[in-house]
Amino acid sequence: MNLYTRRLLVNRFNLLVSLGAMLFGLFWLAWILYTLLVAGFGALGPDLILKMTPPPGNSGGLLNPIAGSLLMAALGTLIGTPIGIMAGIYLAEFGRRGWLAPVTRFINDILLSAPSIVIGLFVYEVYVVQVGHFSAWAGTFALALLVIPVVIRTTENMLRLVPDSLREAAAALGSPQWKVITLVTVRAAKAGIITGILLAIARISGETAPLLFTALNNQFWSTNMNAPMSNLPVVIFQFAMSPYDDWQKLAWAGSLIITLGVLTLNIVARTMAREKTPVY
Amino acid sequence: MSNDHLSKQYDADLETLRSGVLQMGGLVESQIRGAIEAFANGNVDLIDQIIASEARVNEYEVQIDNDCSHIIVKRQPAAGDLRLIMAISKTVTDLERIGDEAEKIARMSKQIHERGHTDLHRFANIRHAADIALSMLRQALDAFARLDTAQAASIIRQDVAIDTEFRSILRQLITFMMEDPRTISTALEIVWIAKAIERIGDHAKNIAEDVIYIVKGTDVRHTAVEVVEREALG
Amino acid sequence: MNAAVLQPTEQAVVQKIRVKELDFYYGSFHALKNINLEIPERKVTAFIGPSGCGKSTLLRTFNRMYALYPNQEARGEILLDEENILSPAQDLNRLRAKVGMVFQKPTPFPMSIYDNIAFGVRLYESLSPRDMEERVEWALRKAALWEEVKDKLKQAGTSLSGGQQQRLCIARGIAVKPEVLLLDEPCSALDPISTGRIEELVHELKNDYTIVIVTHNMQQAARVSDYTAYMYLGELVEFGVTDEVFIKPKKKETEDYITGRFG
Repeated sequence: MNLYTRRLLVNRFNLLVSLGAMLFGLFWLAWILYTLLVAGFGALGPDLILKMTPPPGNSGGLLNPIAGSLLMAALGTLIGTPIGIMAGIYLAEFGRRGWLAPVTRFINDILLSAPSIVIGLFVYEVYVVQVGHFSAWAGTFALALLVIPVVIRTTENMLRLVPDSLREAAAALGSPQWKVITLVTVRAAKAGIITGILLAIARISGETAPLLFTALNNQFWSTNMNAPMSNLPVVIFQFAMSPYDDWQKLAWAGSLIITLGVLTLNIVARTMAREKTPVY
Repeated sequence: MSNDHLSKQYDADLETLRSGVLQMGGLVESQIRGAIEAFANGNVDLIDQIIASEARVNEYEVQIDNDCSHIIVKRQPAAGDLRLIMAISKTVTDLERIGDEAEKIARMSKQIHERGHTDLHRFANIRHAADIALSMLRQALDAFARLDTAQAASIIRQDVAIDTEFRSILRQLITFMMEDPRTISTALEIVWIAKAIERIGDHAKNIAEDVIYIVKGTDVRHTAVEVVEREALG
Repeated sequence: MNAAVLQPTEQAVVQKIRVKELDFYYGSFHALKNINLEIPERKVTAFIGPSGCGKSTLLRTFNRMYALYPNQEARGEILLDEENILSPAQDLNRLRAKVGMVFQKPTPFPMSIYDNIAFGVRLYESLSPRDMEERVEWALRKAALWEEVKDKLKQAGTSLSGGQQQRLCIARGIAVKPEVLLLDEPCSALDPISTGRIEELVHELKNDYTIVIVTHNMQQAARVSDYTAYMYLGELVEFGVTDEVFIKPKKKETEDYITGRFG
């Protein structure tokens, strides 16, 4: 056969293999979602968000874990984001010379890929042990530590995408560097930075291990940040491992909620990124 | 004009232009030579030939001017190239006028010989002046081909000689006319011929001035000969 | 017969910028070699030369734009109104308010057209809203853009076409009323009509500003400038009145470049 036909066949073959691989991956994803839906669907209902976690054998809802997760995630994001953005700005705008920036970037990359359980244990050792008890603050702290590297990475990358010509144009008007950064560069990268924050939130929403050692869990409704606080991941962990039917159903429902929440966040993040990213 | 343009086509176009000018010049030269011969011998065929080549000379003028326009619009020539194109356009006009003058000489000569008053040996000065004019043209074309400003300057000086010759011929003819009124028609025709020769010298001088413009960038028209020589050789 | 062109010394032409023995280095690469040059006030000076000859580098020393980057160093003196702008005591931001720059690619800020123009003005002047509106309109009129955008000042600067964006950048540059305007190949990303408009603009602007333009389009330099500097491999080869440089250049290298001979 001639060269052309052979190329054609190789092309078709590779296309099929890629398609197959994609379907393979999608298949598992679909199965997971399906299982979640089927198993958790039964427990879906207004009760889920109106009632608190019940003792075994009773019916109830997930009000306190949802509230606790939201609270800790929000606070963790609130604390971690400014730090992450400032550090990202430093790395992108001031980090062109010297040794501090490359070192920071390296450490950040390590943090980014650190197992979250290690972060959790760290906070346990440094804070929980010192204070003497588990608390929501500790949980928030751990989540913030997870948010920071993600925000740093995305902020720096988005700022890097802004072409130097824009910075030069602002500098050429006599603008001091801080104004160039805040009024021009950051504004230009705004969409990307926000996307990064949303992705960070999506990440911490599902983290179990750090919360296990820091916020622990609380069966009852509590907004006391200094005490253990209920949260979805740990509740799912606890309920799923239990022999009780009701609890298991609630665990499924909780997993479904987290999955849908993260899915929504991702979709929002991607739509924003697609709309607003300027083409340089 | 030493090394080549980035575009070989451009170099080829300029070369075509240059050789066009030289070919036209050669044709005009032969016209003058023929005219001088016609004056001396009254050879009718020669006269007809000269008149026929007029058409060819005019064609050259139109063609070369056209090519100059093309180069200007295509290449936006600058510096030396620009001066070359401008000068070629002017030179070609001068050559065409020289051709016209040669034709006039031929026609006048025809009329003189038809009338029969041919003791033209008395007018050897005409022959001499004509030879100078022809030589000036040849030198001018040569100076153009080699871009030789020294030669160009010497041509400009020679034009002075032709003007002097012309005035002396005029004085001679006036004397003849006063001596013998029957010679007046012929004498007048010879005056026109002398004038045509003087004009040929002027046009050759123009061409020489163009050569200096091409090489030095200085416009030496309407300046004294000493200034011209300083510009050309300096 | 001399050409009827005014020699630089005939009128009392003030030299706005005087470059003295300027050397410039990118790291260890010697990019500009002993440049000595004078830029006349309220005239257009063009820098021409092949790629890499240093013309943009030289332009960017006039507002010390290179200071944004590490490993770029200038030595020598550049006198703007007789004050050396290369001295460490020079306030860079003040310098750049006096010496404006327009770049090759249009760079509208991510804000409304109005804010784009107002940005530079707000840095150093506090104008009342009324005055600011006047200034914005004035700048846009000067840049021949007012008629096209007067109804959409609140729209994003990025919504304009390429030629309009570049005129926006020019308006932004003149809104702060600099004394010198540096144009770095301002038309190379534009179509012929936009280019023509900007060339017209330069012609008008030179009544009020000293303009230095870098261009790789020789015909543009011939059309637009009063003086031309030809540079090659970091050196200033020839500087003179534009008409003379393009009709009767003094150096053979200049003639070779202008006529397209790269032997």
